[in-house]
Amino acid sequence: MVELSMPVKWLLRLLAVGYVLMLVVVPVGTIAQEAFADGAGAFFSMFTDPHVLGALWLSAQVAVQAVLINLVFGVTISILLVRYEFPGKRLLSALIDLPMSVSPVVVGLALLLVYNGRTGWLGEPLEEWGFQIIFSGPGMVMATCFVALPLVIREVVPVLTEIGDDQEQAARSLGANARQTFWRITLPAIKWAVVYGVVLSLARSLGEFGAVKIVSGNIVDQTQTATLLVETQYQSFEQASAYAISFVLAFVSVVCIVVVSILRPKEGH
Amino acid sequence: MSIDVRNITRTYGDFYALDDVSVALPTGQLTALLGPSGGGKSTLLRIIAGLDTADSGSVSIEGVDATKLPPQKRNVGFVFQHYAAFKHMSVAKNVAFGLEIRKRPKVEVKKRVGELLELVHLSPFADRMPSQLSGGQRQRMALARALAVEPTVLLLDEPFGALDAKVRKELREWLRRLHDEVHVTTVFVTHDQEEAMEVADEIVVINGGRIEQVGSPDELYDQPANDFVMGFLGEVTRLGHVQLRPHDIEVAVGPGRAGAHAGRVTRLQRVGFEVRLLVELESVEPGREVAPVSVSVTRSHAHALDLELGARVWLTPAVGATTVPAMVAV
Repeated sequence: MVELSMPVKWLLRLLAVGYVLMLVVVPVGTIAQEAFADGAGAFFSMFTDPHVLGALWLSAQVAVQAVLINLVFGVTISILLVRYEFPGKRLLSALIDLPMSVSPVVVGLALLLVYNGRTGWLGEPLEEWGFQIIFSGPGMVMATCFVALPLVIREVVPVLTEIGDDQEQAARSLGANARQTFWRITLPAIKWAVVYGVVLSLARSLGEFGAVKIVSGNIVDQTQTATLLVETQYQSFEQASAYAISFVLAFVSVVCIVVVSILRPKEGH
Repeated sequence: MSIDVRNITRTYGDFYALDDVSVALPTGQLTALLGPSGGGKSTLLRIIAGLDTADSGSVSIEGVDATKLPPQKRNVGFVFQHYAAFKHMSVAKNVAFGLEIRKRPKVEVKKRVGELLELVHLSPFADRMPSQLSGGQRQRMALARALAVEPTVLLLDEPFGALDAKVRKELREWLRRLHDEVHVTTVFVTHDQEEAMEVADEIVVINGGRIEQVGSPDELYDQPANDFVMGFLGEVTRLGHVQLRPHDIEVAVGPGRAGAHAGRVTRLQRVGFEVRLLVELESVEPGREVAPVSVSVTRSHAHALDLELGARVWLTPAVGATTVPAMVAV
């Protein structure tokens, strides 16, 4: 390691800490401060409003469904990408990163074009069969899945690559079939990466705004998630309520990440 | 024959890892697949285990055609160079894995695991995690794990390659004794000729995707089929028109024997009980370069002859020496 002089060291630390402070800590802290500005009683009274409770409940439902779907597909795609060779593998890998770079609003619009019930080329036939995607639950779950897609995969792929397939081959030679090998060997080995990916996905899914706003239609008490409600309340000068919901959203994400960093075993084994 | 490999070919693109290889390995023996890195020996072992598939050819184990069988149906034990320990399981759980997969009763599993840990001297470590073991201990655990399922054949892929020299030597002696106890047909891959000579009943020399020679360690050493086998199994030097081993050269300090090559000692290096000499021959045909001959003698012999740098010596092949005609130098 390069030896740095004391002033340089302190300058670098100050820079890093200051950057995170101004960008993350102060704004999030202000939300907390505003949420509790009129005391804890006022804060909790916000959650007697059925609109607020409904929106939070909807957010939780959408997030959990999206996370479960992404968990199954994420782990499957990760194994496919690391353990198998097939044509188009690099393309698939690149496509998975797409949600990272495409704006969620564009994602929402794209889904709207394909799945809307009147003109969408897949939405129209589905509507005839009685499935409504856009302006209802399935569309919101799809949009949330799309934006959170890379999170599980990008956590799991490096771990799968690092552990190699020696343990899996040993299990096979000891008589385990593919299913037994996955449940007894592969999954325990990637357990922490999966948990971390799930938590990140959950946090991301709870916070999704742009894509969901377009596909949900933002119908009060029906397709209005917590993030959408924050915007509505804020714009209709119901700041106290907006801050309270924001605080809950931020708090859940922070708790998730703290819990994982406590549970996660120290690196090196 | 326990393992019968017929006409196996395996290519990676243009590269022939194995080129029409056929070999039969007898039941109950300890066989070494010996050859340089990239020669195809590991590929052959993995094809026998079902961890790799051949482009063509067949493998049968104990008379059963295993060519199309998945690895879990072949009943082979496989030991990997880097142990492949199940990191999230204790030593006892690792060893029990194959038995639990086979749904054996708990009491039986416990008893068998106990016996196996005893066999590999790991009983006190049953509840440790693999990360708390040394390399040698991990490899013994991997061996116990492979033996637990009572395999028809035990396959070891460079089992001692990742260990340091001393542990490697201990483990290979231990493997030999273990084999004498359990008598399971065992095949191990190595690029270390000393390891193969010391442990194996039979050695299969593989190079460039082909089998060069099959035989007992003595046969290979004394009657190498070609100069590759001779060179791979021990040191080789050239004296006149033959290639032979440095210790098969007689050194004299005076002329006398017919056909002796006169030369001068240009280097003298003592390694333990052995003295290695480099002798530059006095060229018979002036102007033609001849590589110096390496000769190895025991330390007491060197003392008796009073050898030192610059001494003039006469070299002849020893009576009964293993020789292979030397290629004519270009």
